[in-house]
Amino acid sequence: MHSRAATIIGYVLGFALLFVIWHLASRYLVSSVLFPSPFPVFERGWVLLEEGLLQESVWASMRRIIQGFLLGSAIGIPIGLAIGSFRPVRLLLEPWTEFFRFIPAVAMITVAVIWFGIGEESKIFLIAYTTVFVVVIATAAGVGAVGKDKVRAAQCLGANKFQVFALVALPATVPYILTGMRLAMANAFVTIVAAELVASNDGLGKMLWDARLFMQVEDIFVALISLGLLGFATDRVFRLLIRAFAGRFNPTM
Amino acid sequence: MVAFVELDGVGMTFRGRTGAYEAVRDFNLELSEGEFFCLLGTSGCGKTTVMNMLAGFDTPTSGQIRLEGKPVRGPGADRGVVFQGHDSLYDWLTARDNIAFGLRLRGMGRGERRAIADRFLNMVGLKGQGDKHPSELSGGMKQRIQIARALANDPRMLLMDEPFGALDAMTRAVLQGELSRIWSENRKTVLFITHDIEEACALATRVGVMKRGPGGTLKAVVPIDLPFPRERTSDAFMASFRQVHELIHAEIHPHA
Ligand SMILES: Nc1ncnc2c1ncn2[C@@H]1O[C@H](COP(=O)(O)OP(=O)(O)O)[C@@H](O)[C@H]1O
Ligand SMILES: [Mg+2]
Repeated sequence: MHSRAATIIGYVLGFALLFVIWHLASRYLVSSVLFPSPFPVFERGWVLLEEGLLQESVWASMRRIIQGFLLGSAIGIPIGLAIGSFRPVRLLLEPWTEFFRFIPAVAMITVAVIWFGIGEESKIFLIAYTTVFVVVIATAAGVGAVGKDKVRAAQCLGANKFQVFALVALPATVPYILTGMRLAMANAFVTIVAAELVASNDGLGKMLWDARLFMQVEDIFVALISLGLLGFATDRVFRLLIRAFAGRFNPTM
Repeated sequence: MVAFVELDGVGMTFRGRTGAYEAVRDFNLELSEGEFFCLLGTSGCGKTTVMNMLAGFDTPTSGQIRLEGKPVRGPGADRGVVFQGHDSLYDWLTARDNIAFGLRLRGMGRGERRAIADRFLNMVGLKGQGDKHPSELSGGMKQRIQIARALANDPRMLLMDEPFGALDAMTRAVLQGELSRIWSENRKTVLFITHDIEEACALATRVGVMKRGPGGTLKAVVPIDLPFPRERTSDAFMASFRQVHELIHAEIHPHA
Protein backbone atom coordinates (compact mmCIF):
# COMPACT_ATOMS: atom_id res chain seq x y z
CA MET A 1 0.00 0.00 0.00
CA HIS A 2 2.98 2.21 0.63
CA SER A 3 4.08 2.10 -2.98
CA ARG A 4 0.51 2.75 -4.14
CA ALA A 5 0.42 5.99 -2.14
CA ALA A 6 3.78 6.93 -3.65
CA THR A 7 2.42 6.27 -7.13
CA ILE A 8 -0.62 8.48 -6.54
CA ILE A 9 1.49 11.30 -5.09
CA GLY A 10 3.82 10.94 -8.06
CA TYR A 11 0.93 11.36 -10.49
CA VAL A 12 -0.51 14.38 -8.66
CA LEU A 13 2.86 16.12 -8.43
CA GLY A 14 3.77 15.15 -11.99
CA PHE A 15 0.61 16.65 -13.44
CA ALA A 16 0.93 19.74 -11.23
CA LEU A 17 4.49 20.24 -12.48
CA LEU A 18 3.30 19.90 -16.06
CA PHE A 19 0.75 22.68 -15.55
CA VAL A 20 3.28 24.91 -13.81
CA ILE A 21 5.73 24.55 -16.70
CA TRP A 22 2.92 25.12 -19.17
CA HIS A 23 1.87 28.25 -17.32
CA LEU A 24 5.41 29.64 -17.13
CA ALA A 25 6.06 28.84 -20.78
CA SER A 26 2.89 30.61 -21.93
CA ARG A 27 3.66 33.58 -19.71
CA TYR A 28 7.37 34.20 -20.32
CA LEU A 29 8.53 31.99 -23.21
CA VAL A 30 5.92 32.38 -25.94
CA SER A 31 3.44 34.95 -24.91
CA SER A 32 1.00 34.70 -27.76
CA VAL A 33 -2.77 34.27 -28.04
CA LEU A 34 -2.00 31.06 -29.92
CA PHE A 35 -0.52 29.51 -26.77
CA PRO A 36 -2.90 30.18 -23.85
CA SER A 37 -2.02 29.62 -20.21
CA PRO A 38 -3.77 26.71 -18.42
CA PHE A 39 -6.22 29.01 -16.63
CA PRO A 40 -8.26 30.24 -19.60
CA VAL A 41 -8.17 26.68 -20.92
CA PHE A 42 -9.63 25.30 -17.67
CA GLU A 43 -12.20 28.10 -17.66
CA ARG A 44 -13.20 27.26 -21.21
CA GLY A 45 -13.31 23.58 -20.31
CA TRP A 46 -15.65 24.38 -17.43
CA VAL A 47 -17.95 26.37 -19.71
CA LEU A 48 -18.01 23.55 -22.26
CA LEU A 49 -18.84 21.11 -19.46
CA GLU A 50 -21.66 23.30 -18.17
CA GLU A 51 -23.10 23.63 -21.63
CA GLY A 52 -22.76 19.85 -22.04
CA LEU A 53 -20.78 20.23 -25.26
CA LEU A 54 -17.61 18.58 -23.98
CA GLN A 55 -19.44 15.52 -22.66
CA GLU A 56 -21.18 15.22 -26.02
CA SER A 57 -17.89 15.19 -27.92
CA VAL A 58 -16.21 12.84 -25.48
CA TRP A 59 -19.13 10.45 -25.53
CA ALA A 60 -19.36 10.50 -29.33
CA SER A 61 -15.68 9.55 -29.63
CA MET A 62 -15.65 7.04 -26.77
CA ARG A 63 -18.79 5.31 -28.02
CA ARG A 64 -17.16 4.74 -31.41
CA ILE A 65 -13.93 3.56 -29.82
CA ILE A 66 -15.70 1.10 -27.52
CA GLN A 67 -17.98 -0.30 -30.22
CA GLY A 68 -15.21 -0.68 -32.78
CA PHE A 69 -12.78 -1.98 -30.20
CA LEU A 70 -15.18 -4.64 -28.93
CA LEU A 71 -16.09 -5.66 -32.47
CA GLY A 72 -12.43 -5.86 -33.46
CA SER A 73 -11.53 -7.88 -30.37
CA ALA A 74 -14.49 -10.22 -30.87
CA ILE A 75 -13.23 -10.94 -34.37
CA GLY A 76 -9.52 -10.91 -33.52
CA ILE A 77 -9.43 -13.23 -30.49
CA PRO A 78 -10.99 -16.32 -32.15
CA ILE A 79 -8.92 -15.79 -35.30
CA GLY A 80 -5.76 -15.45 -33.21
CA LEU A 81 -6.64 -18.60 -31.25
CA ALA A 82 -7.23 -20.50 -34.50
CA ILE A 83 -3.96 -19.27 -36.04
CA GLY A 84 -2.06 -20.22 -32.90
CA SER A 85 -3.68 -23.64 -32.59
CA PHE A 86 -3.92 -24.99 -36.13
CA ARG A 87 -1.02 -24.97 -38.56
CA PRO A 88 -3.14 -24.93 -41.75
CA VAL A 89 -5.04 -21.88 -40.47
CA ARG A 90 -1.74 -20.19 -39.63
CA LEU A 91 -0.32 -20.88 -43.10
CA LEU A 92 -3.49 -19.57 -44.72
CA LEU A 93 -4.14 -16.46 -42.62
CA GLU A 94 -0.67 -15.28 -41.63
CA PRO A 95 -0.09 -13.66 -45.04
CA TRP A 96 -3.28 -11.64 -44.44
CA THR A 97 -2.20 -10.30 -41.08
CA GLU A 98 1.33 -9.67 -42.32
CA PHE A 99 -0.10 -7.69 -45.25
CA PHE A 100 -2.92 -5.72 -43.62
CA ARG A 101 -1.06 -4.69 -40.51
CA PHE A 102 1.16 -2.49 -42.70
CA ILE A 103 -1.84 -0.62 -44.09
CA PRO A 104 -2.62 1.76 -41.23
CA ALA A 105 -6.22 2.58 -40.40
CA VAL A 106 -5.67 6.26 -41.22
CA ALA A 107 -4.85 5.18 -44.78
CA MET A 108 -8.19 3.36 -44.86
CA ILE A 109 -10.23 6.48 -43.94
CA THR A 110 -10.96 7.40 -47.53
CA VAL A 111 -12.09 3.89 -48.37
CA ALA A 112 -14.18 3.72 -45.20
CA VAL A 113 -15.94 6.99 -46.03
CA ILE A 114 -16.62 5.87 -49.60
CA TRP A 115 -18.06 2.57 -48.37
CA PHE A 116 -19.87 3.62 -45.21
CA GLY A 117 -20.37 7.40 -45.45
CA ILE A 118 -19.42 9.83 -42.69
CA GLY A 119 -21.77 8.31 -40.08
CA GLU A 120 -21.03 5.87 -37.28
CA GLU A 121 -20.33 2.88 -39.51
CA SER A 122 -17.14 4.25 -41.03
CA LYS A 123 -15.65 5.08 -37.61
CA ILE A 124 -16.57 1.73 -36.11
CA PHE A 125 -15.13 -0.01 -39.17
CA LEU A 126 -11.84 1.89 -38.81
CA ILE A 127 -11.49 1.24 -35.08
CA ALA A 128 -12.36 -2.45 -35.57
CA TYR A 129 -9.85 -2.61 -38.41
CA THR A 130 -7.05 -1.10 -36.35
CA THR A 131 -7.89 -3.41 -33.42
CA VAL A 132 -8.22 -6.72 -35.25
CA PHE A 133 -4.67 -7.23 -36.46
CA VAL A 134 -2.95 -6.26 -33.24
CA VAL A 135 -5.23 -8.58 -31.25
CA VAL A 136 -4.81 -11.44 -33.75
CA ILE A 137 -1.02 -11.26 -33.61
CA ALA A 138 -0.85 -10.99 -29.80
CA THR A 139 -3.34 -13.85 -29.31
CA ALA A 140 -1.57 -16.16 -31.76
CA ALA A 141 1.78 -15.40 -30.11
CA GLY A 142 0.22 -16.21 -26.72
CA VAL A 143 -1.04 -19.60 -27.90
CA GLY A 144 2.39 -20.36 -29.32
CA ALA A 145 4.04 -19.48 -26.00
CA VAL A 146 2.04 -21.92 -23.86
CA GLY A 147 4.64 -24.07 -22.08
CA LYS A 148 5.08 -27.60 -23.41
CA ASP A 149 5.09 -29.02 -19.87
CA LYS A 150 1.75 -27.35 -19.10
CA VAL A 151 0.14 -29.18 -22.00
CA ARG A 152 1.88 -32.46 -21.19
CA ALA A 153 0.88 -32.26 -17.54
CA ALA A 154 -2.76 -31.93 -18.58
CA GLN A 155 -2.45 -34.84 -21.02
CA CYS A 156 -1.12 -37.21 -18.38
CA LEU A 157 -3.85 -36.10 -15.99
CA GLY A 158 -6.27 -37.36 -18.62
CA ALA A 159 -7.17 -34.23 -20.60
CA ASN A 160 -8.53 -34.61 -24.12
CA LYS A 161 -7.73 -32.13 -26.91
CA PHE A 162 -10.66 -29.89 -26.12
CA GLN A 163 -9.83 -29.79 -22.40
CA VAL A 164 -6.20 -28.92 -23.18
CA PHE A 165 -7.45 -26.02 -25.26
CA ALA A 166 -10.15 -24.72 -22.92
CA LEU A 167 -8.44 -25.31 -19.58
CA VAL A 168 -4.76 -24.80 -20.43
CA ALA A 169 -4.10 -22.97 -23.70
CA LEU A 170 -6.91 -20.43 -23.28
CA PRO A 171 -6.21 -19.25 -19.71
CA ALA A 172 -2.46 -19.23 -20.38
CA THR A 173 -3.13 -16.91 -23.33
CA VAL A 174 -5.33 -14.40 -21.49
CA PRO A 175 -2.46 -12.06 -20.46
CA TYR A 176 -1.25 -11.96 -24.08
CA ILE A 177 -4.77 -11.18 -25.31
CA LEU A 178 -5.14 -8.35 -22.79
CA THR A 179 -1.74 -6.93 -23.73
CA GLY A 180 -2.74 -7.00 -27.40
CA MET A 181 -6.02 -5.26 -26.58
CA ARG A 182 -4.15 -2.61 -24.63
CA LEU A 183 -1.91 -1.86 -27.61
CA ALA A 184 -4.95 -1.85 -29.87
CA MET A 185 -6.67 0.68 -27.61
CA ALA A 186 -3.79 3.12 -28.10
CA ASN A 187 -4.15 2.67 -31.87
CA ALA A 188 -7.89 3.25 -31.56
CA PHE A 189 -7.30 6.72 -30.08
CA VAL A 190 -5.03 7.70 -32.98
CA THR A 191 -7.52 6.37 -35.48
CA ILE A 192 -10.66 7.97 -34.06
CA VAL A 193 -9.15 11.46 -33.99
CA ALA A 194 -7.87 11.15 -37.53
CA ALA A 195 -11.21 9.81 -38.75
CA GLU A 196 -13.21 12.55 -37.01
CA LEU A 197 -10.87 15.24 -38.28
CA VAL A 198 -11.49 14.15 -41.84
CA ALA A 199 -15.13 13.24 -41.80
CA SER A 200 -17.49 13.59 -38.88
CA ASN A 201 -20.33 15.63 -37.41
CA ASP A 202 -19.25 15.27 -33.80
CA GLY A 203 -16.57 13.89 -31.50
CA LEU A 204 -13.26 15.22 -30.18
CA GLY A 205 -11.66 15.17 -33.63
CA LYS A 206 -14.48 17.31 -35.00
CA MET A 207 -14.08 19.62 -32.00
CA LEU A 208 -10.39 20.06 -32.86
CA TRP A 209 -11.19 20.76 -36.48
CA ASP A 210 -13.91 23.32 -35.73
CA ALA A 211 -11.74 25.08 -33.16
CA ARG A 212 -9.04 25.48 -35.78
CA LEU A 213 -11.51 26.92 -38.29
CA PHE A 214 -12.80 29.50 -35.81
CA MET A 215 -9.41 30.08 -34.13
CA GLN A 216 -10.72 28.99 -30.70
CA VAL A 217 -7.31 28.07 -29.31
CA GLU A 218 -8.67 27.24 -25.84
CA ASP A 219 -11.06 24.69 -27.36
CA ILE A 220 -8.13 22.96 -29.06
CA PHE A 221 -6.36 22.59 -25.73
CA VAL A 222 -9.53 21.36 -24.00
CA ALA A 223 -9.87 18.66 -26.65
CA LEU A 224 -6.20 17.67 -26.36
CA ILE A 225 -6.35 17.41 -22.58
CA SER A 226 -9.56 15.38 -22.80
CA LEU A 227 -7.86 12.92 -25.16
CA GLY A 228 -4.90 12.59 -22.83
CA LEU A 229 -7.08 11.94 -19.80
CA LEU A 230 -9.35 9.49 -21.59
CA GLY A 231 -6.40 7.53 -22.93
CA PHE A 232 -4.76 7.57 -19.54
CA ALA A 233 -7.92 6.29 -17.84
CA THR A 234 -8.57 3.46 -20.32
CA ASP A 235 -4.94 2.37 -20.22
CA ARG A 236 -5.14 2.23 -16.41
CA VAL A 237 -8.15 -0.05 -16.65
CA PHE A 238 -6.20 -2.41 -18.91
CA ARG A 239 -3.17 -2.35 -16.67
CA LEU A 240 -5.33 -3.30 -13.71
CA LEU A 241 -6.97 -6.10 -15.70
CA ILE A 242 -3.64 -7.44 -16.89
CA ARG A 243 -2.27 -7.34 -13.38
CA ALA A 244 -5.36 -9.11 -12.05
CA PHE A 245 -4.76 -11.97 -14.49
CA ALA A 246 -1.02 -11.87 -14.98
CA GLY A 247 -0.03 -10.84 -11.48
CA ARG A 248 -0.18 -14.44 -10.40
CA PHE A 249 1.90 -15.53 -13.36
CA ASN A 250 5.55 -16.25 -13.03
CA PRO A 251 7.85 -13.25 -13.46
CA THR A 252 9.22 -14.53 -16.80
CA MET A 253 5.93 -13.53 -18.42
CA MET B 1 3.45 -63.68 -15.66
CA VAL B 2 3.80 -60.30 -17.38
CA ALA B 3 5.83 -57.56 -15.70
CA PHE B 4 4.02 -54.42 -14.56
CA VAL B 5 6.11 -52.27 -16.93
CA GLU B 6 8.16 -53.66 -19.81
CA LEU B 7 10.61 -51.74 -21.96
CA ASP B 8 11.50 -54.17 -24.69
CA GLY B 9 14.46 -53.30 -26.94
CA VAL B 10 13.45 -49.64 -26.89
CA GLY B 11 15.41 -47.19 -29.02
CA MET B 12 15.06 -43.56 -29.96
CA THR B 13 16.76 -41.80 -32.82
CA PHE B 14 16.11 -38.07 -33.17
CA ARG B 15 16.21 -36.70 -36.69
CA GLY B 16 16.81 -32.99 -37.04
CA ARG B 17 18.58 -30.45 -39.22
CA THR B 18 21.95 -31.56 -37.93
CA GLY B 19 21.28 -35.16 -38.90
CA ALA B 20 20.23 -38.19 -36.88
CA TYR B 21 21.19 -38.74 -33.23
CA GLU B 22 20.65 -42.11 -31.60
CA ALA B 23 19.87 -41.03 -28.02
CA VAL B 24 18.74 -44.42 -26.69
CA ARG B 25 19.58 -47.90 -28.02
CA ASP B 26 18.21 -51.32 -27.08
CA PHE B 27 16.93 -50.31 -23.66
CA ASN B 28 15.52 -53.28 -21.73
CA LEU B 29 13.87 -53.05 -18.32
CA GLU B 30 11.09 -54.72 -16.37
CA LEU B 31 9.52 -53.07 -13.35
CA SER B 32 7.38 -54.96 -10.88
CA GLU B 33 4.39 -53.36 -9.22
CA GLY B 34 5.13 -51.33 -6.10
CA GLU B 35 8.86 -50.87 -6.62
CA PHE B 36 10.75 -47.60 -6.51
CA PHE B 37 13.16 -47.69 -9.43
CA CYS B 38 15.79 -44.97 -9.77
CA LEU B 39 17.26 -44.43 -13.21
CA LEU B 40 20.70 -42.92 -12.69
CA GLY B 41 22.96 -41.52 -15.36
CA THR B 42 25.16 -38.65 -16.39
CA SER B 43 23.66 -35.59 -18.04
CA GLY B 44 22.63 -36.24 -21.64
CA CYS B 45 22.71 -40.05 -21.42
CA GLY B 46 19.04 -40.33 -22.37
CA LYS B 47 17.16 -40.51 -19.06
CA THR B 48 14.50 -37.96 -20.02
CA THR B 49 14.18 -39.58 -23.42
CA VAL B 50 13.33 -42.92 -21.77
CA MET B 51 10.81 -41.26 -19.46
CA ASN B 52 9.17 -39.31 -22.30
CA MET B 53 8.63 -42.57 -24.17
CA LEU B 54 7.14 -44.30 -21.14
CA ALA B 55 4.94 -41.26 -20.47
CA GLY B 56 3.79 -41.44 -24.09
CA PHE B 57 5.02 -37.97 -25.06
CA ASP B 58 7.38 -39.52 -27.63
CA THR B 59 7.05 -42.73 -29.63
CA PRO B 60 10.08 -45.06 -29.66
CA THR B 61 11.70 -45.47 -33.06
CA SER B 62 12.28 -49.13 -32.19
CA GLY B 63 11.11 -51.64 -29.61
CA GLN B 64 7.96 -51.58 -27.52
CA ILE B 65 6.79 -50.33 -24.13
CA ARG B 66 3.98 -52.09 -22.27
CA LEU B 67 2.16 -51.17 -19.09
CA GLU B 68 0.35 -54.13 -17.52
CA GLY B 69 0.71 -55.96 -20.80
CA LYS B 70 -0.85 -53.20 -22.94
CA PRO B 71 1.32 -51.23 -25.39
CA VAL B 72 1.76 -47.58 -24.42
CA ARG B 73 0.19 -45.24 -26.96
CA GLY B 74 0.31 -41.59 -26.01
CA PRO B 75 0.04 -40.00 -22.58
CA GLY B 76 -2.70 -41.09 -20.20
CA ALA B 77 -4.00 -40.72 -16.68
CA ASP B 78 -2.55 -44.12 -15.70
CA ARG B 79 0.95 -42.59 -15.65
CA GLY B 80 1.34 -39.49 -13.45
CA VAL B 81 4.31 -37.29 -14.30
CA VAL B 82 6.30 -34.92 -12.09
CA PHE B 83 8.38 -32.61 -14.25
CA GLN B 84 11.88 -31.34 -13.63
CA GLY B 85 10.99 -27.65 -13.62
CA HIS B 86 7.81 -26.18 -12.23
CA ASP B 87 6.62 -24.64 -15.52
CA SER B 88 4.01 -27.37 -15.64
CA LEU B 89 1.98 -25.84 -12.81
CA TYR B 90 -0.97 -23.63 -13.76
CA ASP B 91 -0.16 -20.11 -12.60
CA TRP B 92 -3.78 -18.98 -12.85
CA LEU B 93 -5.01 -21.66 -10.46
CA THR B 94 -4.51 -21.91 -6.70
CA ALA B 95 -2.39 -24.69 -5.24
CA ARG B 96 -5.59 -26.55 -4.37
CA ASP B 97 -7.06 -26.19 -7.87
CA ASN B 98 -3.77 -27.32 -9.40
CA ILE B 99 -3.91 -30.48 -7.29
CA ALA B 100 -7.58 -31.03 -8.18
CA PHE B 101 -7.01 -30.42 -11.92
CA GLY B 102 -7.15 -34.09 -12.88
CA LEU B 103 -10.31 -34.61 -10.83
CA ARG B 104 -11.93 -31.66 -12.56
CA LEU B 105 -11.11 -33.19 -15.96
CA ARG B 106 -13.13 -36.22 -14.90
CA GLY B 107 -16.10 -34.04 -13.97
CA MET B 108 -15.90 -34.61 -10.23
CA GLY B 109 -18.02 -32.15 -8.18
CA ARG B 110 -16.51 -29.15 -6.45
CA GLY B 111 -16.93 -30.28 -2.85
CA GLU B 112 -15.49 -33.74 -3.43
CA ARG B 113 -12.58 -32.27 -5.38
CA ARG B 114 -11.80 -29.91 -2.56
CA ALA B 115 -11.82 -32.63 0.06
CA ILE B 116 -9.44 -34.82 -1.94
CA ALA B 117 -7.13 -31.91 -2.80
CA ASP B 118 -6.92 -30.90 0.86
CA ARG B 119 -6.04 -34.46 1.83
CA PHE B 120 -3.10 -34.41 -0.61
CA LEU B 121 -2.09 -30.88 0.45
CA ASN B 122 -1.72 -32.29 3.96
CA MET B 123 0.15 -35.32 2.68
CA VAL B 124 2.85 -33.16 1.05
CA GLY B 125 3.08 -30.91 4.10
CA LEU B 126 1.25 -27.87 2.70
CA LYS B 127 -1.73 -27.79 5.05
CA GLY B 128 -3.38 -24.36 4.92
CA GLN B 129 -1.49 -23.21 1.80
CA GLY B 130 -4.21 -24.28 -0.64
CA ASP B 131 -5.38 -20.78 -1.55
CA LYS B 132 -1.96 -19.55 -2.67
CA HIS B 133 -0.95 -19.30 -6.30
CA PRO B 134 2.24 -20.96 -7.58
CA SER B 135 4.00 -17.59 -7.85
CA GLU B 136 3.57 -17.19 -4.09
CA LEU B 137 5.27 -20.51 -3.33
CA SER B 138 8.94 -21.47 -3.08
CA GLY B 139 10.61 -23.92 -5.45
CA GLY B 140 10.33 -26.75 -2.95
CA MET B 141 6.65 -26.04 -2.34
CA LYS B 142 5.97 -26.04 -6.06
CA GLN B 143 7.50 -29.49 -6.39
CA ARG B 144 5.32 -30.65 -3.49
CA ILE B 145 2.29 -29.37 -5.41
CA GLN B 146 3.41 -31.27 -8.50
CA ILE B 147 3.73 -34.47 -6.50
CA ALA B 148 0.32 -33.92 -4.87
CA ARG B 149 -1.24 -33.17 -8.26
CA ALA B 150 0.08 -36.41 -9.73
CA LEU B 151 -0.95 -38.50 -6.69
CA ALA B 152 -4.41 -36.96 -6.31
CA ASN B 153 -5.25 -38.29 -9.78
CA ASP B 154 -4.51 -41.82 -8.47
CA PRO B 155 -2.39 -43.05 -11.39
CA ARG B 156 -1.15 -46.65 -11.73
CA MET B 157 2.43 -45.39 -11.58
CA LEU B 158 4.48 -42.25 -11.08
CA LEU B 159 7.19 -40.91 -13.39
CA MET B 160 9.51 -38.32 -11.89
CA ASP B 161 12.21 -36.53 -13.90
CA GLU B 162 14.84 -35.08 -11.55
CA PRO B 163 12.05 -33.45 -9.51
CA PHE B 164 14.44 -32.10 -6.88
CA GLY B 165 17.27 -31.20 -9.27
CA ALA B 166 16.75 -27.44 -9.03
CA LEU B 167 16.41 -27.30 -5.22
CA ASP B 168 19.04 -26.41 -2.63
CA ALA B 169 20.66 -29.31 -0.77
CA MET B 170 18.65 -28.85 2.45
CA THR B 171 15.26 -28.63 0.76
CA ARG B 172 16.22 -31.57 -1.43
CA ALA B 173 17.01 -33.77 1.59
CA VAL B 174 13.72 -32.83 3.27
CA LEU B 175 11.70 -33.60 0.13
CA GLN B 176 13.53 -36.89 -0.41
CA GLY B 177 12.54 -37.88 3.12
CA GLU B 178 8.90 -36.96 2.54
CA LEU B 179 8.71 -38.70 -0.82
CA SER B 180 10.14 -41.82 0.78
CA ARG B 181 7.54 -41.65 3.55
CA ILE B 182 4.67 -41.12 1.08
CA TRP B 183 5.87 -44.02 -1.04
CA SER B 184 6.20 -46.28 2.01
CA GLU B 185 2.55 -45.51 2.78
CA ASN B 186 1.00 -46.02 -0.66
CA ARG B 187 3.59 -48.24 -2.46
CA LYS B 188 2.86 -46.85 -5.88
CA THR B 189 5.25 -47.94 -8.62
CA VAL B 190 7.75 -45.15 -9.24
CA LEU B 191 10.28 -44.51 -11.97
CA PHE B 192 12.49 -41.79 -10.57
CA ILE B 193 15.19 -40.14 -12.67
CA THR B 194 18.25 -38.56 -11.09
CA HIS B 195 21.93 -37.92 -11.60
CA ASP B 196 22.55 -37.86 -7.83
CA ILE B 197 23.98 -41.12 -6.48
CA GLU B 198 23.04 -40.42 -2.86
CA GLU B 199 19.49 -39.53 -3.84
CA ALA B 200 19.16 -42.78 -5.80
CA CYS B 201 20.52 -44.88 -2.91
CA ALA B 202 18.29 -43.11 -0.37
CA LEU B 203 15.04 -43.63 -2.30
CA ALA B 204 15.28 -46.70 -4.50
CA THR B 205 14.50 -50.34 -4.11
CA ARG B 206 16.61 -50.79 -7.26
CA VAL B 207 19.00 -48.41 -9.03
CA GLY B 208 19.52 -48.67 -12.77
CA VAL B 209 22.76 -47.15 -14.02
CA MET B 210 22.79 -45.89 -17.60
CA LYS B 211 25.65 -45.92 -20.06
CA ARG B 212 26.42 -42.54 -21.58
CA GLY B 213 25.20 -41.66 -25.08
CA PRO B 214 25.04 -41.80 -27.98
CA GLY B 215 23.12 -45.02 -27.76
CA GLY B 216 22.41 -44.63 -24.04
CA THR B 217 21.23 -47.84 -22.50
CA LEU B 218 20.95 -49.66 -19.19
CA LYS B 219 24.37 -50.77 -17.98
CA ALA B 220 23.60 -52.45 -14.66
CA VAL B 221 20.86 -52.73 -12.05
CA VAL B 222 21.77 -52.63 -8.36
CA PRO B 223 19.18 -53.72 -5.76
CA ILE B 224 19.27 -51.67 -2.56
CA ASP B 225 17.93 -54.00 0.13
CA LEU B 226 17.89 -51.55 3.02
CA PRO B 227 14.93 -50.69 5.25
CA PHE B 228 13.19 -47.28 5.16
CA PRO B 229 13.78 -44.64 6.41
CA ARG B 230 17.39 -44.99 5.36
CA GLU B 231 20.33 -44.20 7.55
CA ARG B 232 22.69 -42.39 5.19
CA THR B 233 25.70 -42.71 7.44
CA SER B 234 25.32 -46.46 8.00
CA ASP B 235 27.95 -48.85 6.65
CA ALA B 236 25.37 -50.69 4.57
CA PHE B 237 24.28 -47.43 2.91
CA MET B 238 27.91 -46.51 2.26
CA ALA B 239 28.51 -49.89 0.66
CA SER B 240 25.59 -49.42 -1.73
CA PHE B 241 26.75 -45.90 -2.49
CA ARG B 242 30.25 -47.18 -3.31
CA GLN B 243 28.90 -49.92 -5.55
CA VAL B 244 26.77 -47.50 -7.57
CA HIS B 245 29.52 -44.90 -7.57
CA GLU B 246 31.96 -47.31 -9.20
CA LEU B 247 29.49 -48.08 -11.97
CA ILE B 248 28.78 -44.44 -12.72
CA HIS B 249 32.39 -43.33 -12.29
CA ALA B 250 33.36 -45.26 -15.40
CA GLU B 251 30.76 -43.23 -17.30
CA ILE B 252 32.01 -39.87 -16.03
CA HIS B 253 35.69 -40.66 -16.71
CA PRO B 254 35.56 -43.25 -19.48
CA HIS B 255 39.28 -43.03 -20.26
CA ALA B 256 40.63 -42.74 -16.73
N1 LIG C 1 14.10 -33.59 -29.39
C1 LIG C 1 15.41 -33.88 -29.52
N2 LIG C 1 16.02 -33.74 -30.71
C2 LIG C 1 17.33 -34.06 -30.86
N3 LIG C 1 18.11 -34.50 -29.87
C3 LIG C 1 17.56 -34.67 -28.65
C4 LIG C 1 16.18 -34.36 -28.40
N4 LIG C 1 15.91 -34.61 -27.11
C5 LIG C 1 17.07 -35.04 -26.56
N5 LIG C 1 18.06 -35.09 -27.49
C6 LIG C 1 19.43 -35.54 -27.25
O1 LIG C 1 19.39 -36.83 -26.73
C7 LIG C 1 20.34 -36.99 -25.71
C8 LIG C 1 19.68 -37.44 -24.42
O2 LIG C 1 18.85 -36.38 -23.92
P1 LIG C 1 18.07 -36.50 -22.55
O3 LIG C 1 17.24 -37.73 -22.59
O4 LIG C 1 17.36 -35.25 -22.34
O5 LIG C 1 19.27 -36.66 -21.51
P2 LIG C 1 19.22 -36.67 -19.91
O6 LIG C 1 17.80 -36.49 -19.48
O7 LIG C 1 19.79 -37.99 -19.53
O8 LIG C 1 20.09 -35.56 -19.46
C9 LIG C 1 21.07 -35.67 -25.57
O9 LIG C 1 22.28 -35.73 -26.27
C10 LIG C 1 20.13 -34.69 -26.22
O10 LIG C 1 20.85 -33.64 -26.81
MG1 LIG D 1 16.91 -34.93 -18.36
